Amino acid sequence: MKIVVTYQWALDPQEASVAADGKVDFSRAKAVVSDYDAVAIEVARGLATAAGATLVGVSVGGAAAAQAVATKAALSRGLDEALVVADADNAGTLNTAAVIAAAVQSLGDVALVVTGDASLDSGSKMLAATLGGTLGWATITDALGVAFDGSTLTAERVLPEGVQKVALAAPAVVAVASDAAKAKAPGMKDILAAGKKPVTVKSTADLGVALASEGTVTATAKLSGPARQQIAIDTKDPAAAAAQLVSALRAAGVLD
Amino acid sequence: MPYTLTDEQELTRSSVREFAEAEVKPLAAEIDKTHRPPLETIPKLGEMGLMGMLIPEEYGGSAMDTVSYNIAIEELSRCCATTGVLVEAHSSLCTWPIVHFGTEEQKQKYLPALASGEAAGGFGLTEPGAGSDAGATKTTAVRDGDEFVLNGQKVFITNGGFAKTFVVMARSTDAPGVKGVSAFIVERDTPGFTIGEPEDKLGIRGSSTTPLFFSDCRIPAANLLGQEGQGFKIAMMTLDGGRTGIAAQAVGIAQGAFEAAKEYAKQRVQFGHPIAELQAIQWMIADMAVDIEAGRLLVYQAADLEDRGQPHGHASAMAKLFCGEMATRVAGKAIQVHGGLGYTTSYPVERAYRDAKITEIYEGTSEIQRLVIARTELR
Repeated sequence: MKIVVTYQWALDPQEASVAADGKVDFSRAKAVVSDYDAVAIEVARGLATAAGATLVGVSVGGAAAAQAVATKAALSRGLDEALVVADADNAGTLNTAAVIAAAVQSLGDVALVVTGDASLDSGSKMLAATLGGTLGWATITDALGVAFDGSTLTAERVLPEGVQKVALAAPAVVAVASDAAKAKAPGMKDILAAGKKPVTVKSTADLGVALASEGTVTATAKLSGPARQQIAIDTKDPAAAAAQLVSALRAAGVLD
Repeated sequence: MPYTLTDEQELTRSSVREFAEAEVKPLAAEIDKTHRPPLETIPKLGEMGLMGMLIPEEYGGSAMDTVSYNIAIEELSRCCATTGVLVEAHSSLCTWPIVHFGTEEQKQKYLPALASGEAAGGFGLTEPGAGSDAGATKTTAVRDGDEFVLNGQKVFITNGGFAKTFVVMARSTDAPGVKGVSAFIVERDTPGFTIGEPEDKLGIRGSSTTPLFFSDCRIPAANLLGQEGQGFKIAMMTLDGGRTGIAAQAVGIAQGAFEAAKEYAKQRVQFGHPIAELQAIQWMIADMAVDIEAGRLLVYQAADLEDRGQPHGHASAMAKLFCGEMATRVAGKAIQVHGGLGYTTSYPVERAYRDAKITEIYEGTSEIQRLVIARTELR
């Protein structure tokens, strides 16, 4: 039995800077395994160990995703092996789901696909649902407390009306919430072992997927948030701080 | 000389940074303030494989290359110089000589616990009358049947307050000067071995720096490390690697202070603009960047030479000398960028300044490094 976890090799937003005109500058950012996907790998590692399954990481991206440093970074987080499709950079959610679905089918004997909460680039949060639809598998998103006994996946979702407990029969797709686990930094032995784990690189053609046009972005309107007022409030005395905050909000016209 | 890091070295940096940000940085200010060693971090360091970086896999270590090891020390020190030196002294000064000079029995007995973090290591060379002058060692080890009997005192021993395994230098033969010095492994709980009160220090205040006292302390003769009379050579070879580690610690301290200074300079507004737009600040930032990068390259060079089995004492002395003085210089500038706030404990740069100073002193002062370098240059 295999469990697949998807991961993205993407520029680290924590290393990006925002210019005065609002443009995000990634020129000094390094690529990392997305923070969302590091959480997904952490959860999936636990599920695979408990179920005695092989954990396969699947990544869809450009040539950078197939670089040794990228696969080792993902493998060091606990994958048993990796499958990378490296000719589908910024392919869009529908295409990415189609490629992952084909990759999952090519692997065979996959009981679960675990994904992160969102992608780092488009952040659409649509991948898991689209993938589940493509595979025809039951799907759950925003999952916490995920467990898998080899045939049934159980999870919890925090909804406005309360905590929902869900059970799905495998095969299934689960998108874990960003706080579903705390991703641990890979240990030194994990890093050294990563280079010895198997990696397969495939093209979309190998998987028999033809990327479809998903439309093009014709314009992006600039988000205009309110200008920051740079008001510092000393929080040593909470009562005085609250009073200062209220008066600052009144002065700004937020409160009557 | 290749200065492109391998994938594993790059991943070591990102992984140790991730670990240090989550587990080390949150304690840094508190342990400095309370002079408390971060004992709760040691098992986590062990789990990460950071206590066994220089130990072969067959003894439970992570067997990392020396460049990776120094990158790890840099990243720990970037968040907390105390944690950096805890790991550095443990690894470079205790595990390294056992790995390289220990018998198979000694390795099997001591290395697994040191690698897991179950035991921390210390190194006893310095004495009240023998600092840089290791040949003046007065602690004695007298053979008595199957035992050696140790008497004497060591001072300024890093990790002294909690280490379980110490590598200790003592005079065991009548041979004069350095030729009479031998190395021994001494366990913390040995009768006759006591640990003194920790020093109250300017910086690395969470690091436990204590004297060690030996009073008719009997250890098995099997705890002799290497050959009798080989102690000075073992100590000097140990310090060659240790000095690179301290240089890496200094780079980390400087890097942490530099990042704090850049962040502050972008946020602090004076005369209607962030001070980062002022040339006076930009020049300091540029000088700090060059200083740190130069130091980092010296560390890589010394570590790379060690990895390739080349003599590296000269390079490690250069790295230690430059990086120690560089860290103090950079941390001073970081305070200057912060202005008055940088002089307060509200910002981490005053701690960096205090922490940096020791890197000019321990594991060989800057003056000793100049001596080592000049001797080679004038040969």
